Amino acid sequence: MTQRLWNALTEVQDPEMPVNLVDLGVIYGITENDGVVEVDLTFTAMGCPASEFILEDVRERLLRESGVTDVRVNVVWDPPWTVARMTEAGRDALESWGLAV
Amino acid sequence: MGTQAEFDQMIKSGELIESTNEMTPEYLRELKHTLIVSGDTELISAPAYYLAAKRAPSINAFMTGIAIIQDELAHAHIAYHILEELGEDQEKLIFSRDPKSFRYPYAFDVPLDSWTELVVANGMYDQAGFCLLGDIHDKCSYGPWKRGLNKVMAEENFHLRNGRTWMKRISAAGGSAKDELQRAVDWMFPLSVEWFGLPDSMKMHSTQLEYRLKGLTNDQLRQWWLSTVVPYCEQIGVKVPAHKEVRDGKDVWELDYPFPCEFDAEEKRWDFKQPSTWDGVLVRWRSRGPRNAEMVAMFQEEFHKFRKTHHKNGS
Repeated sequence: MTQRLWNALTEVQDPEMPVNLVDLGVIYGITENDGVVEVDLTFTAMGCPASEFILEDVRERLLRESGVTDVRVNVVWDPPWTVARMTEAGRDALESWGLAV
Repeated sequence: MGTQAEFDQMIKSGELIESTNEMTPEYLRELKHTLIVSGDTELISAPAYYLAAKRAPSINAFMTGIAIIQDELAHAHIAYHILEELGEDQEKLIFSRDPKSFRYPYAFDVPLDSWTELVVANGMYDQAGFCLLGDIHDKCSYGPWKRGLNKVMAEENFHLRNGRTWMKRISAAGGSAKDELQRAVDWMFPLSVEWFGLPDSMKMHSTQLEYRLKGLTNDQLRQWWLSTVVPYCEQIGVKVPAHKEVRDGKDVWELDYPFPCEFDAEEKRWDFKQPSTWDGVLVRWRSRGPRNAEMVAMFQEEFHKFRKTHHKNGS
């Protein structure tokens, strides 16, 4: 089931850049217990202007998965996000958009 | 530079112009004019949005507002930077022009006085910017500008998202919050419709189109804007004075009020019973609106003050 949830989050785009949250490397962990999903998530910056949108999108997308009754998102800052957390695909997406990572 | 006929052929074939020595003087003049309108529009949106973003209802909302302003300044910078490469003096353009000679849409001269009005601006004015810049990004014959807009489109999308999310939220809240939203839409919708300029039936000739500085006519851009804004407003339960008709199998968006008509900028109120003429609209645009001088002064005054002190200190 958690694999299905990870796949679902590859469909959630960052609101500012053409890359999904999983490839961006901001999803730290997903656990599921009896339909209740917990997501550990970070932002690329403390002052991320899109943080509310991201939380909303994650919650909304996971609630669309069958068997999910509740979604709890924990915003974590440790370990801090760096570009090293991006996947190869994420890096390619941002590079072709014109951002050096 | 080749002959005029060779240049026209180059434009027609879809080739990109890359430097001034490829341009005819008329192309250069028209390109500069188009860039000034774009730069001025992005630049003035910064003070216009800032004066409203100060009233954000949360720290996160304030951060989003400020991030949008930063984007707009960066977009202005792209346009002015290209103008500089085309031989204009950027500093003079921004800091030494008379407020009335700035070439941004009249809508920004009407004060945004609340967070609600700011998010409607993000939903409607930024959608207008998205249509205009999207068209230039898609069709513009000047290579450096076309390429410079790659990131701008993604950023404008973020502004739209802010506008739409908040409009939906405020509408869902109902009561006086929704009334305030409806009042904002009532005056801002027609100002955005006006943004795209004279109807095609009155604009006999467009050098911008001929030179492929843009690809769509005023009416085509206006229709594009209406086709995104009207359905969204209807979906979230906000009334707008326009509706869809199907003509020859095609969707056409019709306005439910005389276009153009009279606007009272101080009261922020349209009089749909009082049709106006385009000559009248042009006079209103040229004399500029209530906040023009104040907003231009916001960046010009400090620049000159700073300059003076520094010269006094001998630096």
